[in-house]
Amino acid sequence: MNEKQAALVRQLEIDTNTLMEKIRQEDNIKKKQKLIAEREKKQRKLTAVRNNRIISREKKRDLVAYSFIAPNFIGFAVFTLIPIVFAFALAFMKWDGSNEITFAGISNFLRLTDDTFFLAALKNTIIYVIGTVPLTMIASLALAIVLNQKIRARGFFRTVAFFPYVASLVAITAVWSMIFHPSKGPVNYILLNVFGVAQENLPKWFSGNLVLVTLILFSVWKYMGYYMVIYLAGLQGISAELYEAGSLDGANTWQKFKYITWPQLRSTTFFVVVMLTINCFKVYDIAVMLAGGGDGKLSTSATVLVYYIYQNAFNYWDLGYSSAIAMVLFLMVLVITLIQFRYEKKINS
Amino acid sequence: MKRKLLSILLTASMLAAMVSGCGSKQEEGQAPAEEAQTTAAETQEETTEPEAQTEASGEAITLKWAIWDKDITPYWQALKEEYEATHENVTIEMTDLGSTDYMTVLATELSGSGSDFDVVTIKDVPGYATLVSKNTLEPLDSYIADAGIDLSQYGGVDKQVTVNGSLYELPFRNDFWVVFYNKDIFDAAGVAYPTNDMTFEEYDALARQVTDTTYGAQVYGTHYHTWRSAVQLFGVLDGQHSILDGNYDFFKPYYELVLGQEDDQVCRNYADLSAEGLHYSAAFSGGDVAMLNMGSWFISTLIANIQSGEYDASLCGNWGMVKYPHAEGVEAGSTLGTITGLAVTSVSDQKDAAFDFVEWVSGEEGAKVMAETGNFPALMNDEVAGIISSLEGFPTDAESKEALSVSNLYLEVPYAENVSAINDILDTYHKSIMNREISIDEGIAAMNEEVGKIKAQ
Repeated sequence: MNEKQAALVRQLEIDTNTLMEKIRQEDNIKKKQKLIAEREKKQRKLTAVRNNRIISREKKRDLVAYSFIAPNFIGFAVFTLIPIVFAFALAFMKWDGSNEITFAGISNFLRLTDDTFFLAALKNTIIYVIGTVPLTMIASLALAIVLNQKIRARGFFRTVAFFPYVASLVAITAVWSMIFHPSKGPVNYILLNVFGVAQENLPKWFSGNLVLVTLILFSVWKYMGYYMVIYLAGLQGISAELYEAGSLDGANTWQKFKYITWPQLRSTTFFVVVMLTINCFKVYDIAVMLAGGGDGKLSTSATVLVYYIYQNAFNYWDLGYSSAIAMVLFLMVLVITLIQFRYEKKINS
Repeated sequence: MKRKLLSILLTASMLAAMVSGCGSKQEEGQAPAEEAQTTAAETQEETTEPEAQTEASGEAITLKWAIWDKDITPYWQALKEEYEATHENVTIEMTDLGSTDYMTVLATELSGSGSDFDVVTIKDVPGYATLVSKNTLEPLDSYIADAGIDLSQYGGVDKQVTVNGSLYELPFRNDFWVVFYNKDIFDAAGVAYPTNDMTFEEYDALARQVTDTTYGAQVYGTHYHTWRSAVQLFGVLDGQHSILDGNYDFFKPYYELVLGQEDDQVCRNYADLSAEGLHYSAAFSGGDVAMLNMGSWFISTLIANIQSGEYDASLCGNWGMVKYPHAEGVEAGSTLGTITGLAVTSVSDQKDAAFDFVEWVSGEEGAKVMAETGNFPALMNDEVAGIISSLEGFPTDAESKEALSVSNLYLEVPYAENVSAINDILDTYHKSIMNREISIDEGIAAMNEEVGKIKAQ
């Protein structure tokens, strides 16, 4: 141990002792805890210097732990965190990906208010979310309750309900566009021959106001199987004793659902609604596949926010503007999710 | 404390990454101060060296070339082989970026400084406008002047893609729109074939004459693919209007023409086509479409697929083609065109060699290679037209041969700074009008308004 180290040891010893004194005199419990922590730190350093180690054992332990996190975290930081922060910054810039970035202030956001296509995309996305979230929730809950009964071929029907979720989007959109084909599809054929709808009044499922209805129907059909599985898990977590007690008290099926199933499923419902909302705001593939026609371009009746973000970013290379739209989308999802969390908390307490 | 430290470190690293991200961009802009000298010295070396050495067929040069659909497009390989045969020291390396979103992928590739393409193919004008505004292409004016290229040989198309007085691409392929027709259908209906000099009224009447709406045996007089060009752009053939005008009232008669034909089942309706994604080639080769307006690229497809048996020759084997119909008082043979060009990237470190390749492909030798593979080179002359019309499978009647000569060629999309956005607006409302979501007048009013906004920016 050389002189320098010896001096350091002495100094640290004095420090720890004075801290000890202070701790004894301190009455405020919070300040006391703080001082204790400080003293512990000094002491650790002291042991490290005494044992001639550069880093203390605790620090070493921490570093090992961080090194285990590092591979995942570095990937997350490079490919997710930095781009997200960069996108935030870009919303206030003008950049085409090649030339220099220039500061644009809030002009990107001002442009939004006068942009027909943005407003159309916003409106369509919101309608889609409002239509899809409750319908999917109800459909998946109903399916889950039915398929939780002891019925024949339950496994088969569960698979059937789950199948659309697994099937390739491209393949099933092709099938849907045949089924809902405006002049040759079986749906319109039934409307024409069974319900007697006049030929010129047959609905065009992929254009005009109806296209959003088609998108919502498709999305409910495709994703209800997935949320059904989540609800099934929730249902199986409800203790059978509750229903038994309900039966003894003479509760009918509806009362059992209202007073046992629904409250017991609340956390599951919360999860389902949050995930559904987030996923619905991100809609892109379904819209492009069902309403995009041959060239994958969406008209104002079917355009959605993510499509418009993509278009601005990679067709017009207006990265600042597309980031601004992305911010709007992000804020909407954030606010709605926060409201949902607050509501959940309120109910729980 | 530790947590705080970690978060500080994190923010610091993020900031560092951002700053360095921006920094590298700034370098591109500012660094020329220091780097310019070195690169200038380098390029000087390069320009002097190859000149001395090309004569002695000197050092090996590898040019990286961006293309699409390598396996199903015959001319890439043919061009590469021909060029390499005459330039022994040059190797052309092709990279296939796929055709669906070629220009988007290319723009992404050329963003930042990571790309090593020397020559890129320009597929459409909106994409070209994007690349030019991103400063990723090299202006070719000085090269063109040095090489003494006579631009008048391109028949004026070069002017439609000139950006602020500079040209950034040389066209090597030039397709124009014609009307394909199925002779068997006209024979069966006992109606005379279309001619090279038809007005729109005559064209409409002819289409209605051969139409048969009997259920199960339908014959459609004509067919319009879902592209905007197939309907709207009848309007620009008079040479007085362009899609960059900002006022699109001149589309109206043509929307009325096509929607009227739809109502009378003279053509398939748009909503159906869009739902089923029917390709125009499938529609025409199905044998129930009498006339189809389409680009000249369809000629080589038709010939090849009829020969291979892919299309049933008894349904569509007896085809012919005529010039586009024209409005009253407009010269026959005015038509729409689409060019495909080659450009040199601004990051290329062998621009002279790259331009030499561009010049060759868009010049006479390249044109010959293109014609021999059944495609239309930008450099069109009688010899080239002769090569194409003598291809096996090309219709033998005089009218079809005559249809190859174009009097006025208007690009589907001429260059303008905002052409990409204008193009999308027109596409969008075309879709809405054809789907009958809105009336023709509403659609055109919306086009006028939205394009007006873009132009005001």
